[in-house]
Amino acid sequence: MHPISPQLAFVQDQLQIAALTFMAAVYALKIRWILKFPAGRDRQAPTGDADPARGARYSLAAIAMPWAMPGARRHPLFYLQFVVFHLAVAASIAMSFLIPYAPQAIAHPVAVRALQLLFAAALAAGLLRLLRRLRNPYLRAISTPDDYFSLALLLVWLALSILAAPNRPEQGEGPLLAYFLLTAFFLVYVPFSKISHYIYYPFARWYLGRTLGHRGVYPLKRSRPAQA
Amino acid sequence: MQQVRSWKAQKVIERLSQKINRQILLSLEACVHCGLCTDQCHYVLANPDDVTYAPAYKADQIRKFFKAHLDWTGRAFPWWVGARSLYTDQELEDLKDTVFGKCTNCRRCSLACPMGVDMATFNRMARGLLSWVGVMPEGVAVVAKDQWEIGNQMGVLKEDYLETLKWMEEELQEEYHDPAIRIPVDQPDCNVVYAINPEPVTYHDSCNNARSCGMFEEPRELLRLVCLDFREMYPNRAENYCCTGGGGAMSMSEYAPRRLKSARVKAEQLRATGAKIVVTSCHNCVDGLFDLIRHYKLDMQVKLLVSLVANALVAPVRVPVPAARRPLEGRTILVIDDEPDVRLYLSKIFAEQGCEVMDAPDANQAMRAIKSRKPDLITLDLVLPRKTGEKLYWELRRDPLYRDLPVVVVSGYASIESPRIDFHGFLREKGLPDPEGFIEKPVDVEKLLETVRCALQDSRRAQG
Repeated sequence: MHPISPQLAFVQDQLQIAALTFMAAVYALKIRWILKFPAGRDRQAPTGDADPARGARYSLAAIAMPWAMPGARRHPLFYLQFVVFHLAVAASIAMSFLIPYAPQAIAHPVAVRALQLLFAAALAAGLLRLLRRLRNPYLRAISTPDDYFSLALLLVWLALSILAAPNRPEQGEGPLLAYFLLTAFFLVYVPFSKISHYIYYPFARWYLGRTLGHRGVYPLKRSRPAQA
Repeated sequence: MQQVRSWKAQKVIERLSQKINRQILLSLEACVHCGLCTDQCHYVLANPDDVTYAPAYKADQIRKFFKAHLDWTGRAFPWWVGARSLYTDQELEDLKDTVFGKCTNCRRCSLACPMGVDMATFNRMARGLLSWVGVMPEGVAVVAKDQWEIGNQMGVLKEDYLETLKWMEEELQEEYHDPAIRIPVDQPDCNVVYAINPEPVTYHDSCNNARSCGMFEEPRELLRLVCLDFREMYPNRAENYCCTGGGGAMSMSEYAPRRLKSARVKAEQLRATGAKIVVTSCHNCVDGLFDLIRHYKLDMQVKLLVSLVANALVAPVRVPVPAARRPLEGRTILVIDDEPDVRLYLSKIFAEQGCEVMDAPDANQAMRAIKSRKPDLITLDLVLPRKTGEKLYWELRRDPLYRDLPVVVVSGYASIESPRIDFHGFLREKGLPDPEGFIEKPVDVEKLLETVRCALQDSRRAQG
């Protein structure tokens, strides 16, 4: 294995650990903050044999059931972009651990190519999203600087992920250094940005599912065609 | 320079953190501005050039002052996340226009939201905040008062409703020359036989009953029994479009043109079915649909499900209807409270349970009423003019005649931690036993009745 510079060793190990620790601490505080607010109660009687827990489970799983979400059914391409984008982000997060601690796991050229393909597809999806946000008047009206910055940052990160995936420091450490520096920045910035939505996601969907489960709406009975 | 905040805006901001629960907080925090909710809203579909109707945009009008005061990033870098506090009365009016005039709380956008943002929940919260400072459409103030005091927005008392049914029963008896005809209310195991409606019928799933209460198949089951030609509209069930009359929209005449414009989506949906009758289970929907059918000149009638079923009923078997005994029948309750509204409200609750109700506005009149006719139980407000509820309680417990009279304290200061009246401290100091129950205002009716029933049962056991 090719020896790496002390700078790269630092950014892919100690710096990541420090940033992760910071992020974990902020998230712990954030979860504590969320739990400080009282959970609302459903004031109405349950509908029939309604099951709030089942509704909550269904709600959590809904993201993987595009047929269950009218928005995803109506915009399948957008849903596909969503899937690719988030899979790539998850893969890049995993890669930031694998490169320093288990580089052999993604050393095979096929794995490298697969990762690069996924990152490239996500980059394309992200660019489409950015374009949509810039062109669609509804989205422009609700977009904040944080929305644009977070998306742009992710696009740069995905581009760097493509370059970092081969993990070839001997050919130049620049891409790896940039990738890990940006990863560390993400870990610090994310808890304060819209990207932290994944920390809210399980809670928000759980509570919506619990409410709609209690009311007999979840699991959703889909709209049936008029001809049926 | 710091911007001066109006009194009303200040009150709204002060109350904000008290109104937020975990679900609302998460719904306000979780939005990623993906815009998937946009084309789910009938307001957007009918006003494609106006971005201010988009659910996420409307939500952001609430979200931005939430972020300015509670969100971490919003408090530190408001411009970065679009946070902005409320300052002027005009901003409150603008917010009113959004939360009352541009959303019917139909929840359709929430089903499309990948994050699970429950728009209706915090839109209702925002309505509550504005109502707190009197910024609300006048019509809503009227119906909200009826809903709060009487239990329905039509202001129909249960007694009036039952009386109307009785009157309808008599009409039916006359019409069919059959004195045995009955309209049974809350009677289990009644037989129902239907006649069939030959006209094409479609069903409108109400946002309240269907999308928010899961009542999808029951009405269809009934309709298939009473209609020959039932046609689904599309989309339907949880994904149906709002009638546009929900969320109090029918009582806000100032927004009627906007409402009717947004009803185009519903009108097209109805027209596509080719039905002659649209049936729904919600009274609000009946009004909303009636209005839009007239506005868009649809060749269609709107009927309540219950009306369609009632029209189809035939009763070949005479079923004797036993008179039901109500839970508090034969009991007398004295309601002691200085507020006439509360006395009336509690009296109606108890009267509906079949008991005889006396009331008194202060301790002296209460004592006279008790001496003239000893009730089975009294409800006692602690804050009374002249002689307080505590003193009256003390007098009753000292008197051998009334020592065992069950007392349920119904007060805004009934809790142990109340800073204004330390009732428990008073009881300890005087060596008096606890009353049979404590109910805090605003009164939870079920809790009140449960407490009263238990108190009466305990009292009966003690006597017997």
